[in-house]
Amino acid sequence: MKDMSVISVRHLKKYYRVHEKEPGLKGSIRSLFTRKYTQVKAVDNIDFTIEEGELVGFIGPNGAGKTTTLKVLSGLLYPTSGEVSVLGFNPWDRKAQFQKQFALVMGQKNQLWWDLPPMETFILNKEIYEVPEDQFKKTLDKLIELLDVKDILKIQVRKLSLGQRMKCELIAALLHNPKVLFLDEPTIGLDVVMQKVMRDFVKQYNRQFKSTIILTSHYMGDVKELCERVIIIDKGKILFDGKLQNVIDRFARNKIITVVFSRDIDQRKLAEFGNIREYQFPRAKINVPRKDVAKLSAKLLSDFPVADLVIEEAPIEAIIREVFTGKMKQTNA
Amino acid sequence: MRISSFKKYFQVAKTSWSGGFVYRLNFVMWRVRNVVQLIAIYFLWFAVMSRNPTAFNYSTSQMLTYILGTSIIRALVFGQRSIDAQGEISSGDLNNYLVKPISYFRYWFSRDIADKLLNILFSIGEITILLFWLRPEIYLQTNPLMLVSFLLASLLAMVMYFYFSFLISMTTFWIPEENGWPQRFFIFVILEFFSGGLFPLDILPPAVYAVLGKLPSAYFLNTPLQIYLGRLDLSQIVTSLFMMAFWIVVLRLLANRTFRKGLKIYGAYGR
Repeated sequence: MKDMSVISVRHLKKYYRVHEKEPGLKGSIRSLFTRKYTQVKAVDNIDFTIEEGELVGFIGPNGAGKTTTLKVLSGLLYPTSGEVSVLGFNPWDRKAQFQKQFALVMGQKNQLWWDLPPMETFILNKEIYEVPEDQFKKTLDKLIELLDVKDILKIQVRKLSLGQRMKCELIAALLHNPKVLFLDEPTIGLDVVMQKVMRDFVKQYNRQFKSTIILTSHYMGDVKELCERVIIIDKGKILFDGKLQNVIDRFARNKIITVVFSRDIDQRKLAEFGNIREYQFPRAKINVPRKDVAKLSAKLLSDFPVADLVIEEAPIEAIIREVFTGKMKQTNA
Repeated sequence: MRISSFKKYFQVAKTSWSGGFVYRLNFVMWRVRNVVQLIAIYFLWFAVMSRNPTAFNYSTSQMLTYILGTSIIRALVFGQRSIDAQGEISSGDLNNYLVKPISYFRYWFSRDIADKLLNILFSIGEITILLFWLRPEIYLQTNPLMLVSFLLASLLAMVMYFYFSFLISMTTFWIPEENGWPQRFFIFVILEFFSGGLFPLDILPPAVYAVLGKLPSAYFLNTPLQIYLGRLDLSQIVTSLFMMAFWIVVLRLLANRTFRKGLKIYGAYGR
């Protein structure tokens, strides 16, 4: 059966061998003669498929295997075992036909020539990807406008701010109109304003060009705003793959009820409703089990002098954190 | 090579060229180092030759021409930016190229060519100034066959050194410490002597020359200059050119295989 997905990953494993060194000079000398190796399972048997036009968020703590997966998909790393197909190609073959259709942007790496203005890298990439002159001009003008970088194109890259540089990194990566885009921590180190600019841009790019995008990020804000689907990965294994909303439904045990009282109340009585997160008259925040939320809020309204009441989901950051710390194992089962 | 492919690498060379001018101070220092070294060796040999008009079977003009000639051939053969490949392998910046439709070898070869051009221009300028200042006796080769052979040998030496140097850079996959500089530095020091950078190799005792003269390193500076000075007969020249072609094939194969092997263990570091 022919796989129609843009990206398909089956039983992917990537193990590294790293050598351990005892601290100090003695350890250094010893490591010259005998090296002790340990195996690191960066990616440990994962499966997923991604369809055309999807914008998928990869989330997980440091060392979870997100970047390793992206590197395998880009053909940078040779998988230990498993099958990987991107746009019908085996990435590791690094065929020019494949490379002309995808791009990898790493927030902590740069491809721009450090001592030259960004425009020089753009022109070089135009030749490397063999982009026709008119298409190059059109794409460049559009990207320059979307990211508002007209004034910095002739300034040495080393003199640009991190935000300006990141914008230019994106342009350099997108000049050949890639169908598939891997964004590894594209907002790392950026201030909130610039993070928003980046998010808006990625969203717009995904919509306008129907490109397939995988995004990894530490910031839940990126994922929450951009990705309908998330893949949660930790210690090389996939913990969850599905709609972001389902993460909440599946993993969030509690909801948060915020109450504003019209008169001071007895805190001990309030504690019977759930875990009081904070209380400072007239406002209280209580964690209550999801299944009891309707019943408990009705009881709150009848037992206390309530001026206002709001029911909210726990913040997504907190839910994900609980997924990783394993607190959710029981509810997950 | 297709036209679009040629344009690709031409642009690489052009960008590298403009990058080269950004590192003005670095470049000027490098040239100054070259000139100082050249003048030191020149005066050493000038002192030796002024006592005996012929020494080690070399006339004064031959010896001084050899020494000054190393400057230009050095720029052509050893002028390079591709040692930066070591840093890229060690730091993981190699990623940038591996995801693009570009050959890493051709990329660096193009950048080297740009660098060599810049170096040769400067070297010719320096030599011209030195000639006016020192007014040494210069050996002028007039035989067109020798001149063509000399040119051909210089170009072959350039290609040969490129693959040799790339092979050294590839060791960084296995020994990434210090960006691969320990192994590179070791090679640099040995090469200075083994290639004939300090003096022509055939002034060494015959037993030593028999070994050193056969090593690939002898082809980098010694052979082209020997041809220019007319010290090799036609059969020796033909043999040398064939040996260089042979070494190019071998070194290229080795560099390619080592690169592919290295990529398999490449960690794509950087996180």
